[in-house]
Amino acid sequence: MSTQNLSRDEELVNKLKARFPEAIKASKIEETRRILVSFEKEKLLELATYVRDELGFDHLIGIAGVDDPTHKLIKVLYFAGSFTKKEIEDIILILEAELDRTTPVIASAVSVWPSAHFHERETFEMFGVKFEGHPDLRKLLTLDNWEGPPPMLKDVKFPEMGQR
Amino acid sequence: MSTTTPPAQTPPASMRITPSNEPSTMDVSVGPQHPGSGHVRLLMRVDGDYIVSIDPDVGYVHRGCEKIAEYRTAVSNIPHLERPCIIDAIHLNWGYVIPIEKLQGVVVPPRGQYISTIAAEMNRIMSHLYWLAINAGVFSGHTTIFMYAFGDRDLFIELAEMLTGARLTYSFLPPGGPRRDLPAEFQKRLTKLLDYFERRLVEYDRIFFSNPLVVARAKGIGVLTKAEAIRLGVTGPVLRGSGVGYDVRRVEPYGAYADLEFDIPTFEEGDSYARFMVRFEEMKQSIRIIRQALDQLPKGPIARKAPLIIPEGEAVGRVESARGEITYLVMGDNSDKPSRVKIMNGSFRNLIAMPYLIRNVHIADMPIIYGGIDYWPVEADR
Amino acid sequence: MYEGIKHIFKRTFTMKYPYQKPLLPKGFRGRHILYMEKCTGCGICAWICPERCISFVPPADGKERPQNPENRFPQYWYARCCFCHYCTDYCPTGALDYSPDYELAEYDRELLVWSPERLARIPKNGTYHSVFHGNKGSMGVTFEPVEKEPKT
Repeated sequence: MSTQNLSRDEELVNKLKARFPEAIKASKIEETRRILVSFEKEKLLELATYVRDELGFDHLIGIAGVDDPTHKLIKVLYFAGSFTKKEIEDIILILEAELDRTTPVIASAVSVWPSAHFHERETFEMFGVKFEGHPDLRKLLTLDNWEGPPPMLKDVKFPEMGQR
Repeated sequence: MSTTTPPAQTPPASMRITPSNEPSTMDVSVGPQHPGSGHVRLLMRVDGDYIVSIDPDVGYVHRGCEKIAEYRTAVSNIPHLERPCIIDAIHLNWGYVIPIEKLQGVVVPPRGQYISTIAAEMNRIMSHLYWLAINAGVFSGHTTIFMYAFGDRDLFIELAEMLTGARLTYSFLPPGGPRRDLPAEFQKRLTKLLDYFERRLVEYDRIFFSNPLVVARAKGIGVLTKAEAIRLGVTGPVLRGSGVGYDVRRVEPYGAYADLEFDIPTFEEGDSYARFMVRFEEMKQSIRIIRQALDQLPKGPIARKAPLIIPEGEAVGRVESARGEITYLVMGDNSDKPSRVKIMNGSFRNLIAMPYLIRNVHIADMPIIYGGIDYWPVEADR
Repeated sequence: MYEGIKHIFKRTFTMKYPYQKPLLPKGFRGRHILYMEKCTGCGICAWICPERCISFVPPADGKERPQNPENRFPQYWYARCCFCHYCTDYCPTGALDYSPDYELAEYDRELLVWSPERLARIPKNGTYHSVFHGNKGSMGVTFEPVEKEPKT
């Protein structure tokens, strides 16, 4: 069963690589049903439209930001899933973009997946990532008068929480 | 090339309600104190009796769960991460340990999987009873079902107390398997309770789900078509009430669900009444699952030894909680504390449905739609 | 309507606390019991505590105990404790135990810090059998199904 699924995952990756040869940087299938694909951040909208229309990943589960101070990157991960296509309905496709840590900017995926609206707002306030083209980018979860740095960055420490 | 034209019926692009000089509208703030479910603020623009648009202003219960989770060890995180939706604690707990067990390479033995499944389905019934009492009952003014559902929920809570020792804050599933085995009298008492509860569900049907007042208030209100539900990426009973039969227990079985027979209730109409009925039918299916699991309970150990550090890597785990699918991303870096925990839960994903559905409806329809979505603010805000 | 009339003649659910107290199951997660003869002062309970409410203090009588080389015992701060009892489960010698004691309210905040001697007092309802058989704690040990009678 697992070899069958592995070949299905690899097939998807090969399709992506064939369509976007220069945009896909790396891919990793750590376990079945989880495909991680890193891509150049400029190609987000084309890649997302292809993934949604051709491959059939019709909804976005979430957007996660990951702070990586050692490599001076902020990674933004898009989790895409499929409700309609039976063959891939258990796969989560994780698209990973690496952004510069000092000025993280990327295009907004709201035009492709409308559910990205609130996820992008949260990533904006937690990591400082600016999503260009988002209709309403403002703080979502923190206090209305929070003027401090984006809280989820690794160098923002709150002393009450203890040592890591 | 880079953008597609959005289809005709989209949620309003910017939900921000700016002060306007129009004399006929008024901005009303619902919240942020506890409107029955948790602290959430809905800023509504109202024109007479019609709601023009709404801006969900969430974040009143935000505690920085994900940030704190990086400062606690893998096991210590469990009481912390199950608190966002405490009435459904087993699912939040289970979704967190599935990726940790994948990273560590620990396999839970079959008896442990069955016990986790039984506890999870009991928790689903408890969460749906809370929904029935507050979100569907009190919000629509039906306080009788509030009393009935809470009374029955307490019987389940007593059984959970017998199994785990705590009424609501179980922390029952550390990595490796459940903490305790089933006590000696548990199976008998649970079977008796399930028989009693099945009779009560008939009563609930008579006083609530077939009540002409409830039907008149909820049928045809807040219709979410199938295409829109898929596009907006909603999950859980909101999705299944719109005709998409997607359930993580079927798609990617975890625990003992691969061996158990159950249906996924799906309704085609997409209105609030369909979402109510999905949860009602799910309670019946949960009873069925628990009965089968108790019959087929294997013997043997319930837990395995799990290491204390999380190896380097990342893993994604999904469970189907009462409010929808919860997806956890756990990244480790060879220390005892995870380096990133990302929680994508049902309430936050269903948030997009609120400004979409609560448009051009009467004010009195707002609690029905809000109750049908079953939004739990603490879970969405983390 | 019929449903309402039916319920007039049924018994009420309400329990008249504090005159009627609930019957607590075995293994109820109340406050902790410390067996000072078993504690080795290893500190695993403090490490695993999610709320960091355990700190170590020397015993009040100053007596040396052979199994506890650093002569330190846990002190609990119940204002922070969330009663998850991971400390009880992960203690390698089984020096901590469950108890049905839940009425812990105090008028003074300082009284919520329980010293080891105060934790060592067995509650009035008698000795409480631990859920786990034998003397070992449960850190990773496989459990046996509950068919045997528990031994202390």
